[in-house]
Amino acid sequence: MGRIVLDNVTKSFGETQVIPPLNLTIEDGEFAVFVGPSGCGKSTLLRMIAGLEDLTSGNIAIDDKVVTEVPPSKRGLAMVFQSYALYPHMTVRKNIGFPLRMEKMSQAEIDKRVETAAKSLNLTDYLDRKPGQLSGGQRQRVAIGRAIVRDPSAFLFDEPLSNLDAALRVGMRLEISEMHERMQTTMIYVTHDQVEAMTMADKIVVLQAGVIEQVGTPLDLYNKPQNLFVAGFIGSPRMNFTEGEEARKRGAHTIGIRPEHIDVVASGGVWNGKVGVAEHLGSDTFLHVHDTGLAETITVRAPGEVTMKYGDRISLAPREDLIHRFDAQGLRIG
Amino acid sequence: MSDRRLPRLLQTPAVLLLLVWMLVPLSMTLFFSFIRYVLNNTIRPEWTTPSLSNWRGFGNYEFVLNSKDFVLAIQNSLLIVCSILFLTVIFGVLIAVLINKSFPGQGIVRVLLISPFFVMPAVNAVLWINMILDPVLGLQGIAVAGINGIVDNLQTMPVLGGFFSLWPDFAPISFRATQTSAYAVIMMVTWQWTPFAVLIFMTSLQSEDQQQKEAAILDGAGLWSQFRFLTLPHLGRPIAIVVMIQAIFHLSLYAEIEIVSRGNGNKNLPYLIGEFANNNIGAASATGIFAVILANIVAIFLLRMIGKTLME
Repeated sequence: MGRIVLDNVTKSFGETQVIPPLNLTIEDGEFAVFVGPSGCGKSTLLRMIAGLEDLTSGNIAIDDKVVTEVPPSKRGLAMVFQSYALYPHMTVRKNIGFPLRMEKMSQAEIDKRVETAAKSLNLTDYLDRKPGQLSGGQRQRVAIGRAIVRDPSAFLFDEPLSNLDAALRVGMRLEISEMHERMQTTMIYVTHDQVEAMTMADKIVVLQAGVIEQVGTPLDLYNKPQNLFVAGFIGSPRMNFTEGEEARKRGAHTIGIRPEHIDVVASGGVWNGKVGVAEHLGSDTFLHVHDTGLAETITVRAPGEVTMKYGDRISLAPREDLIHRFDAQGLRIG
Repeated sequence: MSDRRLPRLLQTPAVLLLLVWMLVPLSMTLFFSFIRYVLNNTIRPEWTTPSLSNWRGFGNYEFVLNSKDFVLAIQNSLLIVCSILFLTVIFGVLIAVLINKSFPGQGIVRVLLISPFFVMPAVNAVLWINMILDPVLGLQGIAVAGINGIVDNLQTMPVLGGFFSLWPDFAPISFRATQTSAYAVIMMVTWQWTPFAVLIFMTSLQSEDQQQKEAAILDGAGLWSQFRFLTLPHLGRPIAIVVMIQAIFHLSLYAEIEIVSRGNGNKNLPYLIGEFANNNIGAASATGIFAVILANIVAIFLLRMIGKTLME
């Protein structure tokens, strides 16, 4: 079990309120991702759930029990830190077994559990090494192992992959997702990387300045962003926005269209312009188009290899039904 | 290989200087320890100049080993050094952990804590033995007299007086006596060197990883477990450094012993060397060689011990 409810939770550091009253429910077994730019309060929120930060007001409940005053170790949560936070003087075996040792479990039971966890994480060969002798990915797995052995009601991940290189990150992402499928335990995952959020989450919570901008499944957020911030934050490359005449024509203050929803046509498109930089990825080509008569550069994602080069004339046809419309307050229309 | 030649050539003067610096005194000491060499002898004036013709073999060593003060000096050296190391490390760790938390006035407290280290050893000894430990005029004398006064008053109480009259009169301890002067030395040097330990441990504590602590909190570690399994291993290396440096310094304690008791029943090896060196340079040199051996044994032993217990 691991249903986590935040009820009017706030946090202030001195005079500054970093988290205004916030309500959120994370269902049992859900993979929830807190995503937002640096300093949006997502890590603070996670640390409040873990009990490492006090709440200024409000309540946190786990499985319908209020745990606001319960010390971190008694909340039944396990956390994986960005720096891994392994104990450098202990072997991998002792690191993973540490929470059990603190629970005064018998040595035989500890050994058994550590072996099981190590096997599931492919760490069996490294059990007698110290963290300093492991690679970044292995350290990360030890940190996860230390979380797993406690059999927690929920896992908390604080940007666990940001210290890994790009290739390893993709691999660990899959491993964590698979772990979640296998264990069906609640997981809360904090990241600033929207790709991680989109690929792993059952539920994404987009935060900005301590305020929840939108909560939903990855595709909800992609298809129906509730406001300009979410629209701009989710999706890569970023959504194109424009105000003015084009927006007024469509009955909005601002309109947005994703790069992949603009077609390159031979002629007769809605916007005509000149190709700036073309980024060739092989599978796609990102074209940055200038001089379309709009204030901003337009990014277009053309499938496959496109032969366009710098300075070529181009005609663009947005798919009208996929244009997102926003009002003057930046909120979604329709 | 040829490109190594120039750097080596440039290093040579420094290396030679250091070698000379170390080897010349050591070999002179060795030489003197094997000959009869005294500063003043009217019957055998030839002994007053160092020369091979005065060869004595291991005679000086035998003389030192048989002298009644030698075993006492070794015991005293070890007692004083080990006690000081033990106390400074314990006080150092406790104080460093205590003032590592932030509190108002932190800066001033830290400066005050470090200040005993700036007092000269001789001054330190004079202050302690006269102002604090003196059985009559020192704080100790005043405190004991005060306690005795209170107990005397309590004995005149109507009902409980009977109970208090069972209490003995406290007697102040004279720290210049044969049996106690080593403790006076241990106290004053501990007071002076605890700041050194605090300073080293404090800087080390500030580099401690806070996320590790948070992980330990989530893992259910209480304050004691955090200290035992995270802070103490983290301090392992600084403790080894403090122990090593202090062992070197305190094996050569002299000023404190001179001032507290003039070596009266409380010699350590350097003090014994000093006494011999008043006339018998040969015996003083032999004692010096014993001191070198002792210092090496102590250093190796201590380092091993610390390495084993703390780097688990």
